[in-house]
Amino acid sequence: MDCHQCHQNHGSCGSKRSLRWLPFSENLTRPPIEPGGPQIALVGMPNVGKSVLFHALTDTYVTVSNYPGTTVEVTRGAVTLGDRAVSVIDTPGMYSLLPISEEERVARDLLISESFGAIVHVLDAKNLGRMLSLTAQLLEAELPVIVAVNMMDEAQRWGLTIDREALVAKLGVPVVLMAAARNRGVDQLREALADRLASTSVPAVAAVG
Amino acid sequence: MNDLSTIRSSDPHWIVHLETQDDAMLRKLTALGILPGNQIAIEQRFPSYIVTIGRTRAALDRETVQCIFVTREQRTDANSNSDSAMP
Amino acid sequence: MSIKIRYLAPIEAAITQIEIWWRSGWGQDFVDRHLSPRSFALLLLQKDPNLWEQLPGNRQQDLEQLIATTQAQISRPISLEIAQARQEFAQAIEQTTLAEPNPNQRHWGEKIHKLTVNPISGFPILVLVLYWGVYKFVGEFGAGELVDRIETFFEEQINPVVNHVTEQAIPWPSLQDLFAHEYGIITLGIRYATAIVLPVVATYFLMFSLLEDSGYLPRLSLMLDRLFKAIGLSGRAVIPIVLGLGCDTMATIVTRTLETKRERLIATFLLSLAIPCAAQWGVILGLLAQRPAALVTWAGLIVGIFLLAGFCIDKFLPGSAAQFYIELPPLRLPKIRNVITKTWVRMKWYFWEVLPLFIWASAIIWVGRLTGVFDWLISGIEPIALALGLPKETAPILLYGFFRRDYGAAGLFDLQQGGQLTGDQLLISAVVLTLFLPCIAQLQMIIKERGVKTAVLMVSFIFPFALAVGYVLNWGLNLFQISL
Ligand SMILES: Nc1nc2c(ncn2[C@@H]2O[C@H](COP(=O)(O)OP(=O)(O)O)[C@@H](O)[C@H]2O)c(=O)[nH]1
Ligand SMILES: [Mg+2]
Repeated sequence: MDCHQCHQNHGSCGSKRSLRWLPFSENLTRPPIEPGGPQIALVGMPNVGKSVLFHALTDTYVTVSNYPGTTVEVTRGAVTLGDRAVSVIDTPGMYSLLPISEEERVARDLLISESFGAIVHVLDAKNLGRMLSLTAQLLEAELPVIVAVNMMDEAQRWGLTIDREALVAKLGVPVVLMAAARNRGVDQLREALADRLASTSVPAVAAVG
Repeated sequence: MNDLSTIRSSDPHWIVHLETQDDAMLRKLTALGILPGNQIAIEQRFPSYIVTIGRTRAALDRETVQCIFVTREQRTDANSNSDSAMP
Repeated sequence: MSIKIRYLAPIEAAITQIEIWWRSGWGQDFVDRHLSPRSFALLLLQKDPNLWEQLPGNRQQDLEQLIATTQAQISRPISLEIAQARQEFAQAIEQTTLAEPNPNQRHWGEKIHKLTVNPISGFPILVLVLYWGVYKFVGEFGAGELVDRIETFFEEQINPVVNHVTEQAIPWPSLQDLFAHEYGIITLGIRYATAIVLPVVATYFLMFSLLEDSGYLPRLSLMLDRLFKAIGLSGRAVIPIVLGLGCDTMATIVTRTLETKRERLIATFLLSLAIPCAAQWGVILGLLAQRPAALVTWAGLIVGIFLLAGFCIDKFLPGSAAQFYIELPPLRLPKIRNVITKTWVRMKWYFWEVLPLFIWASAIIWVGRLTGVFDWLISGIEPIALALGLPKETAPILLYGFFRRDYGAAGLFDLQQGGQLTGDQLLISAVVLTLFLPCIAQLQMIIKERGVKTAVLMVSFIFPFALAVGYVLNWGLNLFQISL
């Protein structure tokens, strides 16, 4: 229940648990995260590939499952963007900013209480229409959103195409088409993140146009 | 207009109304894209209801399905308050 | 550039009103909050419970008033109108950005989906999955084959060496006992953890990972929803319960995905009462394998108690079963790499959870024996064991059972290897240990997730209940002179 608070105490929580009296070396090899630097959150509905994407970005293992509701806690990792290491957070799924279950509240409370340099809204290309309603809410909240349209491989197999340019024009935020499970589009997302963080690191510039 | 549990055919129907005062229920239905104006089709009724809304597929129980009121034809009136006469 | 959804006029007016309040000081209640005032206004209009409780009473009243007047101007619930406006916005965007040039291309997953959820083929598939996945693979292969081999290896290769080396290296027999001999850290603690518990848990997690990655679990949920409704749970609870057959501690965390407090409470309770973890049922399956009648009785009793306890708690707890809804993702071919990583991560988690406890148990037993406390406790428990019709050698096992149920089960395994128990006694001790107190780690998790009060209540019910069932079972077996 309180687990969204863990990140304030430990480097991460959730799937990792170390033997209490043995030192654990999980975090030693990563580039150090800038203290007070920007953070990135991955948000979206359950089962859209947030955890797969998190794994692809950070190399930190988190539970990935083909059913809604597996991630019950936030997990932190570091993503390397150019020469800087930025903290990134995997969150439990949420359908809207108004939570239905306990685990959904974790993600929402995180968005309310912490400040993020970028929020990656991961969505399932096949259900674009349903999922964009959460994008709308994130934009309404004036959060620095980047839209990651995931599962493009499956969408293609189902005979769907998505017009990225048109989406960018409609939403007014960066959009990346990807298939995280095939490692497609992950580099583009990194670039988009680097751009976003570069543009928001000047505090005077408001994130919303 | 009938509640979805009474529909025998597996053709898509138009959702016109959600009969519930329960906010949690509304939120769940909304999360799955079950909203007036969208189409829904029943795939199966037992042991649980399976419905498809566009490319989303979900399983629901009877009580939930009974809140969903549908028609075969799309309402032509553009006004989203068309069912304002509802009790 | 910024997009803006227009809601119905009365809702927009209410938003404006809240924004005005916001600027006139309300915002200070939410300093350090990173959503826009408009977003907060919309959440408050929908009575977001968490934000609501942060508002002072007079503001709650103002807001209540505002919501009432807004609601009076529109026919449908405010939150529905808001959701609908967003949905229309989203759908409009989908229409111009997503095209479906070749509709109705689906793949093999569709056919299998139909088979798994159709009641005629679905229930047989469910039974087959459980029979092959759980009984054959975990029970016979993991708990039978693997445990036998690793255990034999330990007994024949490692224990003698450890005993020998310890005897050479440490001159004091009482210190030797800490590491070697009957209750040593290596010869008992590590042997239990690696030879008896690990193979079972590993095979279970492997099977569970395959099931979850294929997308079968939500289908299992929908197949069992009706049954679960009878015990106060919705089909969603199937997933934590099935996970609990692997590790109850992990499953207790996962009850967070359940929607109502009531459902989380029932699930937590049933997990700690009647869902044995893989280590436990694996060992018990191994123990009772030679006695099918005892095995069937054990399984029947536990399932019966699971259903009955659920049924009763559903009756007595105010409220009703949560409504069931679950998205059904397409069935996918599990990615072997993901399955292996996941099994590995879970095993690691479990092993690091279990090993220290087992080592501690050995150390505590050592201290207990040295100081005489252990004997004293055991002599206290012996009458209980005798009352249950068990030989007094089972007293230490009941004591381990306090510590961890799987540790107790593993102890039973040792006794049975020594041929010291009759079928009846095996059955009784298996039933009592299955129902017994949750393991220490699970207890910690219950306290963390449900609070101390609930945890104490659960424990003070479960412990006497387990013993009572054992007592009644013994009585019944005697009465009808059944020997299994
Ligand atoms: N085909 C395909 N499957 C994916 C992709 N990304 C994730 N998945 C699968 O979708 C399921 C859910 O992924 P997960 O990361 O656990 O979703 P989360 O709930 O958003 O964290 C898993 O079975 C993944 O293997 C993708 O790009 N393509
Ligand atoms: Mg996840």
